[in-house]
Amino acid sequence: MQLLQALVDGLLIGGVYGVVSIGLSLVFGVMNIVNFAHAAFLMLGMFVAWFAWAFLGLDPLLGAFLSFVLVFAFGCAVQQVLVRPILAAPQVAQIFLTVGLLIVLENAALMAFGADFRSVQTPYQTSAFRLGGIIVSKPYLYAFAMALLSGAAVWAFLERTAVGRAMRATAQDPMAATLMGIDTQRMHRLAFGVGVGLTAFGGAVILPYLTVSPTVGSHYVVLMFTAVVLGGLGSVAGAVVGGIAVGVIQSVSALVFPIQLQNLVLFVVFILVLALRPDGIVRRRGA
Amino acid sequence: MSALSLPKRCSALARPRALLLAALAAAAAIVPLFLDPQGYWVRVLTLTLIFAALGQAWNIVGGLANQISLGHAAYFGVGAYASTILLINFGLSPWIGLFVGMALAVVVALVLSVPTFRLKGHYFALATLAAGEALRVIANSWQGVTGGPVGLSVPFMPDSFWMMSYGAPRPFYWIALAALVLVTLVFWWIKSSALGYRLRAVKENEQAAEVVGVNTFRAKLWASLVSAAATAAIGVVYVQFTYFFDPDAVFGVATVSVRLALVAIVGGIGTVIGPVVGALVVVPLEELVNAALQGQVAGLSAFVYGAILIAVILVEPRGLVALFGRLRRGLGRRPGGAGEAGR
Repeated sequence: MQLLQALVDGLLIGGVYGVVSIGLSLVFGVMNIVNFAHAAFLMLGMFVAWFAWAFLGLDPLLGAFLSFVLVFAFGCAVQQVLVRPILAAPQVAQIFLTVGLLIVLENAALMAFGADFRSVQTPYQTSAFRLGGIIVSKPYLYAFAMALLSGAAVWAFLERTAVGRAMRATAQDPMAATLMGIDTQRMHRLAFGVGVGLTAFGGAVILPYLTVSPTVGSHYVVLMFTAVVLGGLGSVAGAVVGGIAVGVIQSVSALVFPIQLQNLVLFVVFILVLALRPDGIVRRRGA
Repeated sequence: MSALSLPKRCSALARPRALLLAALAAAAAIVPLFLDPQGYWVRVLTLTLIFAALGQAWNIVGGLANQISLGHAAYFGVGAYASTILLINFGLSPWIGLFVGMALAVVVALVLSVPTFRLKGHYFALATLAAGEALRVIANSWQGVTGGPVGLSVPFMPDSFWMMSYGAPRPFYWIALAALVLVTLVFWWIKSSALGYRLRAVKENEQAAEVVGVNTFRAKLWASLVSAAATAAIGVVYVQFTYFFDPDAVFGVATVSVRLALVAIVGGIGTVIGPVVGALVVVPLEELVNAALQGQVAGLSAFVYGAILIAVILVEPRGLVALFGRLRRGLGRRPGGAGEAGR
């Protein structure tokens, strides 16, 4: 029963992990950039939702849409100004540009909002559904549902719309895409904006059961990378599966190991996955 | 790369540059004599030297072989913890602890080489990042040995070289300078040795290097072992200097892993002088920002260093040394110079 409970919790939390990791996969798939700053956009989304709750009285589940829009716009600008110039640069420049961006965003937030932990109050915060002996926490369930909806929306956008098709074409072969009349720069901008916007959305929907502070992203960095590497970097559906796997590993390992070592298990899984199937991961390109 | 012309260039340049570096080191050694031995500036310059040395150690794998490690904090922290734990529990001299720390860091590097050396670029960076974080988690949770999140204090002792313990920062300045000179010599020696050419081959094209018979795994392994040992040794000097540390201070991503890579990148990745230039710019600037605002605006100094990193990468990804070279050529004076020779 305890195991079943852990599986349910892991699934619900992991679904959100998966959705916040989609952007990382999407950006890699489309521009071949690993965005080390990705988790900072999650933090931004959480802050937007917190302010929307504090000043507009908006539930974070609705504030999430505002988070998406604002962070999407910001992401497009970041892509245009910072990321575009280094797309053809050596990998070391790409890595450290996004690492620099992470440091800048985290500390800008620290300067603007202070180091306090902020939380929201919602009517469903501490309530849960009971199914037999299993407790399904309402905030977990709602966050999971919202995350999966947004993930499905992005999937539909990529698979079913002309712009989405153009974006996938850009991922597969930028040269051919350009020849077909696709504005690949616009696709890059959109992909980056959608990627970080989706993460912001995910950050907003988990706010009812978490607190936000400028460094909240650091808890998610390795977690997101584990999710996308497990699922295959560049694959959108893979990121969701990987995220759920990460959530389940986390909550099941908490049954066996003390809570502090929870993340250690994750790091080990991450390094092993990278080590054991680097080729398989590298070869899977394209969103 | 014109591999054939390189040896000639190096030998022709080695002598005057060796003299130049020796003169620089000698000049650096007398600087603190003119400064207040207890003072702020000796402290800042000591930190600068420590980070220059760390950047140089990172440069051995990051610069020569282009293996972008984001987990050097692992070695730094292992050195720091090993020597301090031995000092606290057995009264062992940090000089001996330093060798124990180096040996442990070599073991860590050996273990990590197995899963990480097949990885390239982003993947290598990700795996090393996770490795450093894993050690931070261990240091935080293994409370019986490491003191956990509370951290460790280096026991207070009277001034003594043998115990690497001084009340004033000045002696640490010289120890850090010695460390920088040593690591720089090692870097230089590796760079101009056969190993250096193998590493450069790895950097240019790993598969091609394999094809012409370079054992790339072994070359990378040697470089990373040397780099790990040097990083651990400097970690010992660092904590003796700062007296106190916790897991985040020595295993942190932003506090250590990124900062020492940053120093090398801002200065000029893969160049001998790059980490020194980088540390001279980054560390005092960060301290000045902190001092100017007396730490009132939390996050500003880190914000500044992140911004410098972004600016350098956008303007000249090869670092300030290359930028100076470019500017000088732009001004039409002596074409090519130390700035270019580092490439």
